[in-house]
Amino acid sequence: MSEDTEFLTELYETKPHVHLIAGKCKKCGKYTFPKYLACPHCFSDEIEEAPLSKTGKLHSFTMVRRSMPEFRVPYGLGLVDFPEGVRVMAQIDKDYIEGLELDSDMEVEIGPVRIGKDGKDQYSYKFKPAS
Amino acid sequence: MRDVYIIGVGTTNCGRFPDKAAHILGSDAAWKAIQDSGIHPRKIEIAFCGHVYQGMGVGQRTFKEIGLVGQPVVNVEGACGSGTLSLWEAWRSIAYGQFDVALALGVENLSKILSGGPLPLEDDDVEVALGMGMPALYAMRAKRYMAEYGTTPEQFANVVVKSRKHAALNPIAQYRKQVTVEEIMNSPMIADPLTRNQCCPVGDAAAAAVLCSEETVKQLATKKPVKILGCISQSGKYNTPDKLICDPSENVARTSSMAYEMAGVGPEDMDLAEIHDAFSVAEMIVVESLGFCKKGEGAEFTDSGRTSLGGDSVCVNPSGGLLSRGHPIGATGLLQTAELVWHLRGEAGDRQVEGAKLGIIETMGGAQPAMDGITCVVAILGV
Repeated sequence: MSEDTEFLTELYETKPHVHLIAGKCKKCGKYTFPKYLACPHCFSDEIEEAPLSKTGKLHSFTMVRRSMPEFRVPYGLGLVDFPEGVRVMAQIDKDYIEGLELDSDMEVEIGPVRIGKDGKDQYSYKFKPAS
Repeated sequence: MRDVYIIGVGTTNCGRFPDKAAHILGSDAAWKAIQDSGIHPRKIEIAFCGHVYQGMGVGQRTFKEIGLVGQPVVNVEGACGSGTLSLWEAWRSIAYGQFDVALALGVENLSKILSGGPLPLEDDDVEVALGMGMPALYAMRAKRYMAEYGTTPEQFANVVVKSRKHAALNPIAQYRKQVTVEEIMNSPMIADPLTRNQCCPVGDAAAAAVLCSEETVKQLATKKPVKILGCISQSGKYNTPDKLICDPSENVARTSSMAYEMAGVGPEDMDLAEIHDAFSVAEMIVVESLGFCKKGEGAEFTDSGRTSLGGDSVCVNPSGGLLSRGHPIGATGLLQTAELVWHLRGEAGDRQVEGAKLGIIETMGGAQPAMDGITCVVAILGV
């Protein structure tokens, strides 16, 4: 994977482990994902980037079988609740969907999610069952 | 605040009309609404046009087809709630005394931009960039709803069976053929557990309503004016993990509570409801959100037949709803409005809800994981 095939790179880091980058309000301490201009809880505009925990709980998921042309179907899609108080949506590799249970622990990985204009896979953050 | 009445409604049929541009569909519906009202078109002081995908100046280009030029025209957009937002704009322009007669139009030709599949959403949203479509979002609601309440795929399918039964009696509906639970469950899977028949169709239509002040309605020989008792628009608040994705919508609950309060009535008083059932599971969640039943009881309440035509509770979506009448995005809110007006006048033919005196419209525009809806509009109408 080369850098030009990755997107939404401002929303994740791969070191020391793969994790998401949220916004954290310096005034009230609450998180949003992604980062907003002003805090929706206290309207402070002093927001810093802050990492989310390595794992979260799977709130719901589906296997998408019809989608927009930029996506190879089928693919999994899930909502994961992180302990910082944010719910994040991302793809889940289709091979993980069978046997997946609600409220199970999930972690972040980087993998192919869509097809670019050049026909090549584009990579970004995804969820997978926690190891 | 002044009382506002609907004195005329008009719609096109719902279906696939790739060769009928928005201004053709729109002018047809607007002209029918004006003729239905009996008012001279020159009396219309302002006109609103709700749409999403139809491009620049659709309202102005539409109204020029029927001589409505010169007066202000405002195009309004609120995702799938655009039509009802157009109604709300028309209502408030009269309620707060600026105008006496207003036209609200909603129009969409989806066939021109889409052959099928999910609606194109804004790629600038990270979730959309990563593959979220509306069917996938509702599928995740359905998945969690099933886990919380033990709802079965058959119960979801039954919502569609009821919807098609109603639509079979509605001459303007897109899908009028009755279907069985088996056919619904065997239709292609779109996003588990939602099959294609549990998703609203791609379609085209327009619908319109003429609104006027109480002073004006007294001067007219209007056959049966329908009063707007409550009309509220609210945007969604942030979703946080302390709420389940299948919980009653805070946006719909808040908007409807305000509308009930404005109208001085409650959910138990409603004879019929036209609600935003874009997907089978949506109907179950919306009947909970509107207060027709308690949280978690939407599936049983719907499955019991109490909300079907002839049932002993509020009749939900006698038109067939978004699932079967159709969901031509910008037109939907005014299609719902027209349906209510026909019932309240006793003009709904074979699907007439007997003795209907009070009804409610609920439209929900868009949804994001971060926000509980983009626009919700609720209107309560009565005679």
